[in-house]
Amino acid sequence: MNVAGIKTHFAGWRDWELNPIVVKELRQAVRSRAVTIMLLLFLAGLFITSLGFLISQSFEVDANLRLGGSMFSAFAGVLAFCSLLFIPLYLGIRVAVERQTFNQDLLYVSTLSPARIIFGKFLCGAYVTGLFFSACMPFMAFTNLLRGVDLPTVFFILAYLYLAVCAVNQGAIFLACLPASLPVKILFAIIGLGFCVSLAGSLVGYSFLMMEEGVGAMMSHSTFWNNAMTFLAIIAAVTGLFFVLSVALIAPPSANRALPVRLYFTGAWLVTGLIALSWYWWQPVSPYVSVWEFLSFILFLFALLVVISNADQFSLRVRRTIPANRFKRAFAFLFYNGAAGGLVWLVLLALTTYFITYAVLQAELHPVHHTGRGAVVTTVDQSDLEFQYKLGIVLLYTFAYALTALFLHRRFWPQRPAKLSSLIAIILAAAWALMPGLILFFANKLSWQSIEGEQLGNVFNVFSMRDASSLPPHLLFASAWLALAVLLNLRWFFRQVKNFAPLLPADPENQPPVIG
Amino acid sequence: MKVQVKNLRKHFGKTVAVDNISFSFDSGHIFGFVGPNGAGKTTTMRIISTIEEPTGGDVLLNGISVCEEPELARRAVGYVPDTLPAHGDITVHEYLDFFARAYGLRGRQRTRSVEAIEEFTNVAGIRDKHLRALSKGMKQRVSLGRALVYDPDVLVLDEPAAGLDPRARVELRELLTVLAERKKAILISSHILTELTEICNGVVIIERGKILETGTIEDVLRKSSPRRTVAVRVLDTQNAPLLKELLQTPFVENPRDVANEVHFEFAGDEAAACDVLGGLIAKRFRVIEFRQTKANLEDIFMNVTKGGVQ
Repeated sequence: MNVAGIKTHFAGWRDWELNPIVVKELRQAVRSRAVTIMLLLFLAGLFITSLGFLISQSFEVDANLRLGGSMFSAFAGVLAFCSLLFIPLYLGIRVAVERQTFNQDLLYVSTLSPARIIFGKFLCGAYVTGLFFSACMPFMAFTNLLRGVDLPTVFFILAYLYLAVCAVNQGAIFLACLPASLPVKILFAIIGLGFCVSLAGSLVGYSFLMMEEGVGAMMSHSTFWNNAMTFLAIIAAVTGLFFVLSVALIAPPSANRALPVRLYFTGAWLVTGLIALSWYWWQPVSPYVSVWEFLSFILFLFALLVVISNADQFSLRVRRTIPANRFKRAFAFLFYNGAAGGLVWLVLLALTTYFITYAVLQAELHPVHHTGRGAVVTTVDQSDLEFQYKLGIVLLYTFAYALTALFLHRRFWPQRPAKLSSLIAIILAAAWALMPGLILFFANKLSWQSIEGEQLGNVFNVFSMRDASSLPPHLLFASAWLALAVLLNLRWFFRQVKNFAPLLPADPENQPPVIG
Repeated sequence: MKVQVKNLRKHFGKTVAVDNISFSFDSGHIFGFVGPNGAGKTTTMRIISTIEEPTGGDVLLNGISVCEEPELARRAVGYVPDTLPAHGDITVHEYLDFFARAYGLRGRQRTRSVEAIEEFTNVAGIRDKHLRALSKGMKQRVSLGRALVYDPDVLVLDEPAAGLDPRARVELRELLTVLAERKKAILISSHILTELTEICNGVVIIERGKILETGTIEDVLRKSSPRRTVAVRVLDTQNAPLLKELLQTPFVENPRDVANEVHFEFAGDEAAACDVLGGLIAKRFRVIEFRQTKANLEDIFMNVTKGGVQ
């Protein structure tokens, strides 16, 4: 939106309306038996908990000066478990039912943009979460009167629990949007619920710690705000990632689905990298950067599976937006639909991450580089560098598997959908990891020693090897395999680069259509 | 608004639901889409409505591709599915209001539009009822109202008359005629073929994903039964002399006794039919009835389809 567009938008503020999805979803939520029953059960749970505490206290002779704290902890537990289990499940089921393959809700084929639909669903989740938290608020504020907990702690814990529930809500919406069959979605729901239980346990545990310390007392320390801001950034990043992924999933296949996801991914990678580096600058210990690298690599792995599932053909609407300028086009190639551009994009991100971390580890081994900030305690040892070495080999193997899968798909099953490539890559990695074990098992030669021995081509073997001296053969093998896979895909890659060209404006068939 | 279905294909695994079909229809016309169960009608209609992605081919709505620009195409299409609205927990008014909002109608324009559609589809009296409390016919009206609330140029109706009582069917027919007069391009599928014959200008007959016949109703009738059947009733109870006479008459084939009448296939034009009648009267046959029996869509459907599914 340009400046004039923004001005017009704000000038017409009287005509602003709520997201239609929010209106509909909230209308349905307030009439939903599930929400009503859960809210009543939740309130009953809070009431019985408080009653239990007050009755047990009445038998005590001495006044319990921490009764408020204990009650608050119990309330936080009830709130966390109820809201983290019920609200995401409610939202996820609704979206999954609406997106059934053969009975898709017609709202998904209205003129509402995918982003508005997902945002509406998210907002509805946020409002229902707000409803549960509002119901809990009087009970929690009441605990302050019983002593043992200060009001900043009450509000801070409520705020961070609320944000965590909102992030999980968005995750549930994402899972419900996945193009999977009902049994698979039920499996996702069970796994998701398991994750929610563990998350609720962790959050409640963390809130106990904060209550012990007292947020009011901690607020004057910069560490508290650093941690709080980091938590906020992580929650925002996770929510945003699930949001763009959900939007991409429900966008039409002809749309440039990759663009917002890759842009967001790059932005999040850049921001989190800068935060990790800035932390390293203030407290020069490498774990911050290593954690960033490790988490980034996990995400790269998932991204790689998605990237190689991209179709080779560009739709007309995507081609209409390809820039004519060569530099802009080269940049666009990385972010538009297509496996070739996606692979280059991921290689660039992975290599940058790897070498930045490697440089940081080296810098920490030689702390002379950290000037003017006093003595530096080195936490890096040889094992960290070895881990970095292994990670590099894994990276080479991962791209080798992916490129081999792309080649096999093109060579043997070109008529099958592009997503088969990711399945081939997974099967390839799994088969290579399992086959030696199975063969040894049937030959009655399977032992721990054989598992920990050198198995070239098995990516999992890199981490399970007992002897680090086997790493160079792995490195050589992975490099050679990757080089071969690159060669096999080279023609295809250049063809993709050539095909990534804008439509000629002279062709009237290719002009954007105009209604009416 | 011109709707062009071009070489449309849709495969579900190995099943070919729609097999390279092409047809087109225009504003102000009601186009019947006829075929046995599993012929590919619903799949085609879902593709036109941007719900399904075709495996191949395309549908153009005034040049807008439903594959390339589904968001633009959606503004132009109103789809009434064979399954009825699933949102049981909202009222009729809220349901229509939601879709009006979803299609970008705002403020008073939305209020006016929703009220007008409630009147038009005759659901104003039940606007505060929950959808789950409605009968099938009422749900069908709400579904039609949903498709009309944003005033699309193309209407795609999948079995809208199924399960409706005779009065509701007549009202639906009237609604569709009014909509065609308002220059909507309407594609309607139905198994009640006699009704389609009355309201449709054109028809597509499809089976096993392939088009068997397409064109205006008259064209299809003419193409499918080029020889009209003529029925003759004479005052005499014995038809044998008449049958004998007809066997010697030009253009007459297969004269047969049907109840009290004689039926025969006639390959000539209307002037020749006049001559046959004149000849019979001249030969002292006391003709009290001489008429052409019209073939209808149902006859043609039975003739051209074999009832197969994919």
